[in-house]
Amino acid sequence: MLLGASGEKAGLTVDLDVAIDPSKSGDAGVPSGEELLAFASAANRRSETLPQARAALEAVVGPEGLLEAAATVAIFNGLVRVADGTGIQLDPSMLTSTADTRAALGLDLFNGAANSEGAPTEPRQDGTGVMSMFS
Amino acid sequence: MGNDVEELITSALSAAAASLVAPGDWLTGDQRRAAATQVLDARTNELDEERRQAISPHAVPGGHTATDELSAEAVEVVHRIASDPGRLTRSWADQVIAVLGEEAYTELVGVAACAMVLDTFSWAMQDNEASFGSANQGLPTNERPEDVGDVGAWVSQSTGSGMANVSRSLSLVPVTNSAWVGLVQAMYSRGPGFLDLEWDRALSRPQVELVAARTTAELECFY
Repeated sequence: MLLGASGEKAGLTVDLDVAIDPSKSGDAGVPSGEELLAFASAANRRSETLPQARAALEAVVGPEGLLEAAATVAIFNGLVRVADGTGIQLDPSMLTSTADTRAALGLDLFNGAANSEGAPTEPRQDGTGVMSMFS
Repeated sequence: MGNDVEELITSALSAAAASLVAPGDWLTGDQRRAAATQVLDARTNELDEERRQAISPHAVPGGHTATDELSAEAVEVVHRIASDPGRLTRSWADQVIAVLGEEAYTELVGVAACAMVLDTFSWAMQDNEASFGSANQGLPTNERPEDVGDVGAWVSQSTGSGMANVSRSLSLVPVTNSAWVGLVQAMYSRGPGFLDLEWDRALSRPQVELVAARTTAELECFY
């Protein structure tokens, strides 16, 4: 849910529904969002439209922007598999702060939601929540 | 293009590729390479495709078979992780962990994840799949960390850690985790700057998170 928080920080009105639903069109309220979303979906699916999506994205964000987008698609393909494969729970801060958004977007219907049923919601004494990820 | 970013990513990908064919925590280089190769096969494998189309992957009879390097259960784990991660269940994991052991299971998860990162990046940039070098000989470390235990996940992880759960998810297998963390650092988090909601990169933080959100949604990941 860092999309919502970072979008708010940047003064954007992010449409999370468009962001996560490939059947919806639009830029989700993010600059070059339409090209970024088309590229992300095409790369994830190894779609025949990938070359066109790549070229369209590079035209608006440049070669380094394309590199960052490709790196993001790739690493989240790994992060998803590590999270789902090890059955980790949502961290307490994420579990409480994203409850309304998860319900609205239907994310609680995903299989992985079962892993966080009954998970602790009290902040860990030795952790700083989601912002301690990866740092 | 910013050479620093390109070099950072290229270097991490190279290190991960080398790790995938080297002896690991509980698997040999031959076994890790074989697992990585199975990840590539999962993209077009008929059984995996049939399972993806089914209302439940368990509704499809049959299973993957053993190879010279990997048991049938190990091949099964790699294919399920690679092809249909959003429909994994604890009961399924418990069954395969009972056969493989939680250390080897966790290593297979890590190897599959790293291989998927390499393959996805290759497709995203060049429209072709990843390739892996020859396996290195040698023995795995066969070492279980002392500071791991039940923190609510399917497998043991570091206890008393201040990190988020996803950051310690492969802590049971340090060799595998090292290559994995290298990828995450280079391709996404890049140190303390991760704490900032504004990034000075070629893509802004919301642009990166937009790509991340669509990717996790495509794969039906709750986390």
